[in-house]
Amino acid sequence: MADADILLEVEKLAKTFRVGFFGRRVQALRGVSLQVRRGESLGYLGPNGSGKTTSIKCILTLIRPTQGQVRLFGLDPTDPLARARVGYLPESPYFYDYLKPTEVLDYVGRLYGLDRGTLRKRIPELLDRLGLSESMNRPLRGFSKGMLQRVGIAQSLLSDPDLLVWDEPMSGLDPIGRKEVRELMIDLRRQGKSLFFSSHVLADVETLCDSVCILDRGAVVAQGALSDLLHADRLESEAHFTLPIDPEPAVAALQRVAGVQLLDQSSTTVRLVLPTAQVSALTAAALSCGAQLTELSPRRDSLEELFVRKSVHLEEKSAAKEKP
Amino acid sequence: MSSITTSGGLQLQVQGPLASLRRVGAVAANTVREAGRNRLFFGILGAAVLLLIFSVVLSDLALVDQRARLVQDFGLFTIPLLCNLTAILLGVVLMTKEIERKTLYAILPKPLRRAEFLLGKYLGLVLLLLAELLILTFVWSGVLLLRGGWLTPVIAEALALQFIEIMLVTAVALFFSALSSPILSGVLTAGVFVIGRITYVISELLGAQKGVFVEVPLMRALGRVLLAVVPDLSTFNISDELLLDWTIPNAYLGAATAYGLSWTAVFLVLAVLLFERRDLV
Repeated sequence: MADADILLEVEKLAKTFRVGFFGRRVQALRGVSLQVRRGESLGYLGPNGSGKTTSIKCILTLIRPTQGQVRLFGLDPTDPLARARVGYLPESPYFYDYLKPTEVLDYVGRLYGLDRGTLRKRIPELLDRLGLSESMNRPLRGFSKGMLQRVGIAQSLLSDPDLLVWDEPMSGLDPIGRKEVRELMIDLRRQGKSLFFSSHVLADVETLCDSVCILDRGAVVAQGALSDLLHADRLESEAHFTLPIDPEPAVAALQRVAGVQLLDQSSTTVRLVLPTAQVSALTAAALSCGAQLTELSPRRDSLEELFVRKSVHLEEKSAAKEKP
Repeated sequence: MSSITTSGGLQLQVQGPLASLRRVGAVAANTVREAGRNRLFFGILGAAVLLLIFSVVLSDLALVDQRARLVQDFGLFTIPLLCNLTAILLGVVLMTKEIERKTLYAILPKPLRRAEFLLGKYLGLVLLLLAELLILTFVWSGVLLLRGGWLTPVIAEALALQFIEIMLVTAVALFFSALSSPILSGVLTAGVFVIGRITYVISELLGAQKGVFVEVPLMRALGRVLLAVVPDLSTFNISDELLLDWTIPNAYLGAATAYGLSWTAVFLVLAVLLFERRDLV
């Protein structure tokens, strides 16, 4: 029985393309499984060519998967009813360049079956919210990439969807635009919307997501709550000490504790990293050598570190570069 | 028609045949709007209007009592030809542009079936071509009046039958452009149009006592295949009968219309079936 709180469920999704004259097989997706629950914000990460856009296109029926299953709101995504509750922003969105933003939104609104009165009220509101009110009556052909991105975001929000599927929402935006979209996403989360978005801007993902799914060469290499993933691999702590007048013996004493690594040291302070299990041994050593513990915190990977570590493909590429 | 109420209180009408018709209508309206802002359409329309006006000058070359006849024949030849040219070019350009420029990628994930999209595209094009036919007929009837002729009911019937051909050619253009590149789609549609207009010649060659279509087995097979898969577009051309002032039986008009609409349906259904399977990478 379908869980009503699971808005998107992807199971063992696989896609093989045939390319070239001889129809060579290229496996773009290899058994991708993921879920987006109500109110969740899932960041979809992976190096270029890892299969993010292909899987998003499979979810939204632009591409037919070779194997696997997608359920949107418990329904088959080919059912318009399932897609009615999804707001999709394609990567580098293209719209009819002869249309004005108001006309694009009017067209999209009709596809959702929104009545004229609602559209007349909602379209200017959305365009205003996305900073397009001054350009709403200009044809899109004169729009910059960032402005097109905003039109793309506006059309994805028009139907007040429960689930937003955004492929690279920050693409083409300037720093101010990125900040505005970030704030918009935070606001959407506050409203209880679910977000599923791909991005290369890891800092944004770290700020906006509860969980991430990292894809590499068409397969999921890491998945889960961000807090779990960033702690799961390394149960380490970071300790800061103020050193006594003669610092060297004290630092040596601290470094004798098993597993301790020196991060940096000045004449008065030292920063160390150690297995969390060794914290009591370290504090005992500090007491004996006169070093004063000023800060102790669990050590967290940054998302960037996790991403690089999990993206085998990237590691291989950098290894290949290092080879003479 | 049942609706979905979103968490923000919006009513989305996405279920039921009426909602489906509305979506088809939205795509058709956008297609008309797109083509209406397309230079190609106005270029062909302008050229056609000029050609029809030119037929006044051309008719001066004929004997006085034959001038109206010349304008009539010229119009009956030019109007369907240029409308079919518009059908081929716009049918191919508008559909392939959607795929190549990826505008389709933002539209198809909406609660819109691919069949609805294709049907909307088709209806939009047909409405536009009807407008083109009516504008040209209006100009032509003015030119005819200038030369002492008028638009008789039989001429109107002939144009109506030609419109069935235009509808069929539009379906062929959409069928090819839903599957292949613009150039290939254009060539294949133009090929069907040309062969369709001369199927009676192929038929006669196959029925002859001798000749390449009888003596070479490969050509014979090719001729038979072409007769089977290409609609006979000469069915819709009754200008010879008009020239001889024959009346066209209603039974013929009905049968020709049914023939044209059946082929149109075949091409549209095939287009939908193949387009449904197409990956939009």
